Amino acid sequence: MIRSVVALFIFAVVLCGYIVLHPSDNGRPMPAIGNDATVTRAQTDIALALVTATAMLTNAAVIQAPQRNTTPGINVPVDNSTMNATTTNVLAGLGLNVEQNPNAIKDDPMLRMTTGVLSGIGAITGNTVTTASQNPTATSTLEILVVQALKQGQNDAYIDTLVNEAATAGTITVPQILVTSDGRVDTHVLLASIITQATIAAGGTAPTVPDRPDGVEVRIVQRATETQQYRFYTVRSNDSLGAIAINFYGEVGKYQLIFAANRSTLSSPNNIRVGQRLTIPDA
Amino acid sequence: MTMRAFLWVAVALTVGSAVAAQDVSLTEGQADISIMLNGQQIVISRSQDTDAMLTGEFAKTSRPCPSFCIQPIIPVAGVTPAGELEVIEFLQKNMAHNTGLLIDARLPDWFNKGAIPGAVNVPFATLNAENPYQADILRALGATPTDDGFDFSNALTLMIYGNGPWDAQGTCAVQALIAAVTRQR
Repeated sequence: MIRSVVALFIFAVVLCGYIVLHPSDNGRPMPAIGNDATVTRAQTDIALALVTATAMLTNAAVIQAPQRNTTPGINVPVDNSTMNATTTNVLAGLGLNVEQNPNAIKDDPMLRMTTGVLSGIGAITGNTVTTASQNPTATSTLEILVVQALKQGQNDAYIDTLVNEAATAGTITVPQILVTSDGRVDTHVLLASIITQATIAAGGTAPTVPDRPDGVEVRIVQRATETQQYRFYTVRSNDSLGAIAINFYGEVGKYQLIFAANRSTLSSPNNIRVGQRLTIPDA
Repeated sequence: MTMRAFLWVAVALTVGSAVAAQDVSLTEGQADISIMLNGQQIVISRSQDTDAMLTGEFAKTSRPCPSFCIQPIIPVAGVTPAGELEVIEFLQKNMAHNTGLLIDARLPDWFNKGAIPGAVNVPFATLNAENPYQADILRALGATPTDDGFDFSNALTLMIYGNGPWDAQGTCAVQALIAAVTRQR
């Protein structure tokens, strides 16, 4: 009896260890660029469990990675919202209070009326904005869309398809750094950011910065007085500035460092192109 | 974009199940009308009580102007005015086929007191450019943002109403929408 219990316990530990360690197998800290949908599924579940504290682990099947639409030249509508504000609002929409978003006015009658309007129109036209009134903290249709999908327990592939369809149709605007080199919306970065903030809010630690990000090129320049190290990164397919920032600095918000260092070749954060060589400054 | 303004004439349309023997029909030969809206059946008929009188808010006809001033039936040239039958026709032809939206332009407290069946509450103030979330609503109505305004060519056909001849809420909503269209030209 004791032996079988111990054996089961060891098996459980090994299984947990495998689940926890598995994402690092491919050497990438982020599921953002890879297509390993199993990994992203597991991380979303962590966030959902943290956020809702209810059993939403209904879909345990391995999810197929979303079909990447690699047609370039799609104009994803962007806005000036920051990833931080978007993430905070999504979490607030899920009922989890992270740090207060200074831009969010608590009682905004115009916002209240607008969410009511969107909910009413959605109920008639059958569009996806129907739960707007339930999420008075979500301030943009992107946030409303993501909150709704997460509440429904939808998987990452579903959210990716949903957000990209809405962006292609022009019904949502997204933060600039979520636009990939292929003109898509990088929902993996958005979801990863939500998970990170939820983890921190729940008392966990922020993810560590990867030692050697993928696809980086290091050059050491020696001058008479100093030795300086420069890092470069060549933009690949499906990269977004947000994903690159996570790759190098472990957090989305540091994209500004990259953007500032590449102003001469980068007109705006949503304009990165495949093959473009970005200078990555030290954090 | 075709837009129609409807001023709510003070005869209330009532929702309810059709009564077997109709003394008060909608029109000669048509007792009531049943419409499927988004999977929900709406029956529009008139009150069968021929002694019925309006009471409460809607019975009051005199309000101070300014504020409650008499409005033109055509708020902006090109807008088609509509009465009950046109509204019913709109519900049948446009709303039921998802090509149009009947908009109650009044503030939510008015909407909650009673509205035309099937109407969606889009308070006039939310359509103004001053509303930071105006674009979200216009997009939901089917308009597409352009560089300097909104293109309504693929938008839903809208029928808009307010509280009556003395109420500017419908007028304001129409003007705000026209402003959003013409900003691009």
